[in-house]
Amino acid sequence: KTDDTKTLRLGHGLDVSHSVHKAMVKMGEDLSTLSDGKLKLEIYPSQQLGTERQCLELLQIGSLDMTKVSVGVLENFAPKMKVLGLPFLFRDREHSFTVLDGPIGQQLLNEGEQYWLKGLGYYDAGSRSFYTKDKPVNTPEDLEGQKIRVMESVTAMDMVRGLGGSPTPISWGELYTALQQGVVDGAENNPPSFYLSRHYEVAKYYTLDEHTVLPDVLLAGTYLWDKLTPEEQGWLKQAVETSVVYQRKLWLEAENEALEAVEKAGVQIIRPDKTLFSDKIKDSFDKYKEDKEFYQLIKDIQATN
Amino acid sequence: MEYAPILVLVISFICLLAIGTPVAWSIAISSLLTLLVSIPVLPAATTVSQRIGTGLDSFALLAIPLFILSGELMNKGGIAHRLIAFAKTLVGALPGGLALINIISAMLMGAIAGSAMAAASAMGSILGPEMEKEGYSREFGAAVNITAATTGLIIPPSNVLIVYSLASGGASIAALFLAGYIPGILTGLFLMIVASFWAKKKGYKVGKRSTLKAVLKTFVDALPSLFMLVVVIGGIVTGIFTATEASAIAVLYSFVLGMIYREITLPIMPRILLDSAGTTAIVMLLIGASMSMSWALSYENIPQEISTGLLALSDNPIVILLIINLLLLFVGIFMDMTPAVLIFTPIFLPVVTALGLDPVHFGIIMVLNLCIGLCTPPVGSVLFVGVGIAKTSIEKVVKPLLPLFIAMIIALFLVTYFPELSLWLPRQFGF
Amino acid sequence: MQLRKTIDKILANFLVIIMAVMVLNVLWQVASRFILGSPSSFTDELARYLMIWVGILGAAYISGRNMHVAIDVLPTRLSPPVQKRLMLIVRLLIILFCLLAMVIGGSRLVYITYVLGQNSPALQVPLAVVYGVIPISGLLIIYYKLSDILKKQ
Ligand code: NA
Ligand code: NA
Repeated sequence: KTDDTKTLRLGHGLDVSHSVHKAMVKMGEDLSTLSDGKLKLEIYPSQQLGTERQCLELLQIGSLDMTKVSVGVLENFAPKMKVLGLPFLFRDREHSFTVLDGPIGQQLLNEGEQYWLKGLGYYDAGSRSFYTKDKPVNTPEDLEGQKIRVMESVTAMDMVRGLGGSPTPISWGELYTALQQGVVDGAENNPPSFYLSRHYEVAKYYTLDEHTVLPDVLLAGTYLWDKLTPEEQGWLKQAVETSVVYQRKLWLEAENEALEAVEKAGVQIIRPDKTLFSDKIKDSFDKYKEDKEFYQLIKDIQATN
Repeated sequence: MEYAPILVLVISFICLLAIGTPVAWSIAISSLLTLLVSIPVLPAATTVSQRIGTGLDSFALLAIPLFILSGELMNKGGIAHRLIAFAKTLVGALPGGLALINIISAMLMGAIAGSAMAAASAMGSILGPEMEKEGYSREFGAAVNITAATTGLIIPPSNVLIVYSLASGGASIAALFLAGYIPGILTGLFLMIVASFWAKKKGYKVGKRSTLKAVLKTFVDALPSLFMLVVVIGGIVTGIFTATEASAIAVLYSFVLGMIYREITLPIMPRILLDSAGTTAIVMLLIGASMSMSWALSYENIPQEISTGLLALSDNPIVILLIINLLLLFVGIFMDMTPAVLIFTPIFLPVVTALGLDPVHFGIIMVLNLCIGLCTPPVGSVLFVGVGIAKTSIEKVVKPLLPLFIAMIIALFLVTYFPELSLWLPRQFGF
Repeated sequence: MQLRKTIDKILANFLVIIMAVMVLNVLWQVASRFILGSPSSFTDELARYLMIWVGILGAAYISGRNMHVAIDVLPTRLSPPVQKRLMLIVRLLIILFCLLAMVIGGSRLVYITYVLGQNSPALQVPLAVVYGVIPISGLLIIYYKLSDILKKQ
């Protein structure tokens, strides 16, 4: 309304029905109330302004203010973030929240600042599990010889290879046809993504081994952050906090809804003995021993209660 | 509503085109000017250059240079020639025979490759020169090729329909694919009727009826070339490679066959590669520049504001659908398909579902509509490919394009107001 | 014009090599997955980066030959001196855009990805190398357009 209204532009890749988008809308409302209309949030969903990697670059360039990306994408920008993508690092959902909301999570968010990115908070993205087209996966041995689509991330490829599958990087957008045509035999993702992408129409087995917890990270560019007054930074932080709490609640609902829906559509949901999977790659952390600081980080996360 | 950005965009773009600035540069320059309205000069300039660079950062786009290259190889290697000799003995005696061959092959090709640009580049480079040799005007050949190529985006598999499914947050991809068959084939039929009339009116040569012996002989000659279709289609269907990878297989196959026919030799390969790189670059700069324009439009919320204003006009479903179709046709003039689908699906879908429309049906309407946009100047990737490959100019193809546009628009309105054309087939499969 | 010919030649050879590598790369992607059974992890990324290079470096090559698509309805109806002046304006505008967006903006993009140590996910190539083609191509286009202007006057 007034000339001193600042518009913060937030771009992300999810569609408007996603819990993260809904939580962002709430963040915008809160921000407006808290700042008495001085800060306005403008949200650009559905990759309108680019893919997650491109949006991060736009933050560094200075033409976009905020974005949300998966930790998997962030590891190419801020290497320490890679730790969150390690398989079977977290014992369960509670453990992951304790770590993310505690000092380690904060330390990782601060890590971004040397890359001109200011980490603001973690949205829940559940945990990722395998889904396959023709052959159900009950044990890691069933992955043998199956071509599994992974993200373009070294950690993800190592993980699938470690479990016995053949990791195949294919872009998310091409995956539906790739599954249908048999270019890959399976993929891995969280229940809402499995459901919303409609991959369940092709892949009829969903094995809830929950190998990785890859949260979504909300970031601002330091380009923007440094231009905000301490008061404005406070409002933003507060709005992010309530938005995160709200999103985690929505996520749980979305996860249950997704599992129910895919089961109804004829998907066989397999709840395997997870230790079979975690045991198979329990030595995989050893290769980080060289990197003292990183290895310590792994130990610290495992030791968090 | 903020008027400055849209005024800057429209005025600068029109002025640049009018003084004869190449289209790609006009798009790029006016996008930069638009961004300068709300972003400081350094970040704005950097953003434009990032958009041009990352606009090309897509594995699916790779089908373009590779199909351009395989087309070039088929031309020089005597493959296209044998294929067409065979096709001519079949339908050459009908009015506009070669144009019909072009449309049927483009539908097939686009259906397989899922990329209209790949279809336009392959058919354009194979059939374009042949049509010219037979007395067709270069512009008519290009116009037929351009419009026919888009039918492959509606006939499955289609990446755009997958994008739509994601943007709509739930329309079934399987249902969308099934829904695409009838509208896609219908559009192709309409194009064939128009092309046939136009060819008759222009008095393009009608071939002699061929003897059975001639048909058999050309068939045997064309067999290895026809087998390429089997390799490419078979490979995709059996999941040995993706549609994009198929383009590289096509390059390999046509290279080897051309060597066997002794029409391709290693010393002429650099020339062939360079020509293909040049054609590719013309297309790529246009795509990169269009990406920065789409970004500028989204950033300034121009599409949303225009449609909100228009939808406030009526609550009659027929009128709303008409408005949406006109609006999308207008959008298609300036914007490429994928960004348009991503931006406008979330805006229009709630409106039309409230009116009782099926999301699957709307997906087909939207994609068919934007297919027309792919062929309209000034921004249209298929148009750029078709014109680039035919080595003609946009203004010259407009005249033969017009009747073909009308055919597509009639198909669009039938598909819009007769939902059964889209929904009957998916329903048979339980959707 | 000896310099221009040399640049043309280097550019042409470069494009030929990139195109050839691009084809071999995608063929290798199919072969490694289907025949060897172990999908290659880098081919997808390499293909995309080669595409950026062909597209943007090719834009310079095409500019050197004035092969970009333009709509010349209006200019062809004007008198030759006016046409000449319009052509000069168009060339200057292209030079200005290339200087601002491709050379300065592109260099800033290269600088950002370089100082922030951003590498590509699969190949671990510095993205500065990938984006480096933008300012290079910008400079080449400026050179071509300037040489066109000087030649014609
Ligand atoms: Na298709
Ligand atoms: Na258009």
